[in-house]
Amino acid sequence: MTETVDPARLNALVVAVAQARDKAAFQALFDHFAPRVKGYLMRLGAGNSVAEDLAQEAMLAVWRKAGLFDPGKASASTWIFTIARNLRIDAIRRERRPEPDPSDPSLLPEVERSADETMDWAKAEDRMRAALAGLPREQSQLIELSFLAEMPHSLIAAELGLPLGTVKSRIRLAMARLRLALGDGP
Amino acid sequence: MSIAHHPGDELLLGYAAGAVSEGVALLVATHLALCPLCRAVVAGAEAAGGSLLAEVAPVALERDAYRSLLARLDGPPSAEVARSALIAGEVPAPLQAYVGGDFGRLNWRHITSGLAYFPLPTRGKTRARLIRVAPGAAVATHSHRGEEWTLVLTGSYSDVTGNYRAGDVQSTTPEIRHMPVADAGPVCINLAVTDAPLVFEGFLPKLVGKFFGF
Repeated sequence: MTETVDPARLNALVVAVAQARDKAAFQALFDHFAPRVKGYLMRLGAGNSVAEDLAQEAMLAVWRKAGLFDPGKASASTWIFTIARNLRIDAIRRERRPEPDPSDPSLLPEVERSADETMDWAKAEDRMRAALAGLPREQSQLIELSFLAEMPHSLIAAELGLPLGTVKSRIRLAMARLRLALGDGP
Repeated sequence: MSIAHHPGDELLLGYAAGAVSEGVALLVATHLALCPLCRAVVAGAEAAGGSLLAEVAPVALERDAYRSLLARLDGPPSAEVARSALIAGEVPAPLQAYVGGDFGRLNWRHITSGLAYFPLPTRGKTRARLIRVAPGAAVATHSHRGEEWTLVLTGSYSDVTGNYRAGDVQSTTPEIRHMPVADAGPVCINLAVTDAPLVFEGFLPKLVGKFFGF
């Protein structure tokens, strides 16, 4: 199904929603993301009607929180993934989702990046996709299981019949490759 | 503060994926407030999540889904700006939401004169507690039935595996047996998360551990 959509265009749509409350832009986002969010939730075991409701809630959050979207911090797809992930933890697991707060005075700030070092997350997303596709199957499988099966690594190890240490070292290898893909510069 | 012991890729990936329990997520989020390096790792892992979302098989919504959502759009945009009004000095925001004040005002439960704890209301499969150890005091020798993650918030402690200071995370697996001792200096406060009870050695520590539900 990999119809390729330009990540920069999706980013621009969220910005249009934030700045102009643009409903046409929002509908385009809905058409693109709502079925994917629903697919993600069902992949993680939600039933059809729960996934339907949560996908709608996620899109409502996109509309309401669009002003918080920062294309310098994440792509639209990544931002909407985090919204769906958190809604799911809250609604299905009934747990809270602790996250660092950028406005927390006790937050230790990062070292300032110069303007030309700033990450272009729309491009980074293309590189990330390529890097994921280029991982050896034994590594990409572990990344997918982490995101789409919600299995702790001990359970993944048991399921795949691997020692936990092997799972951990493959995850470290995979993460190093993904980090390299992101670190390649804008 | 320079952090020597990080949660590690597996934990950061699990956090980014939303796969870890609330207690572990609390520990990771609190570490992230103190560690820009790990924040960058999580941002990268979340980007992998964004890519996977783009590739997941879409499932069509009900036919009138968009129209019924349109009717709900007219509420006010959410004002999620003033979240950090509660912050009080030494407690990073993610943890602040659970303790609701600074460490000095908590209703600590004393185990011995040098050792106290405060349970945190997390749900899910792990238990989270603050552990306060006076300088020179020790947590009795124990091993683990499952995993234990400890984030140092103030002070520092040492055990057979090394020395842990504010911001550091120690992950222990069942085979590790240790007796953490708080170093001289400020009182050592840790956030400890376990997925199974600890195994204390010796009659008294066993009894005390059972009594306090460790």
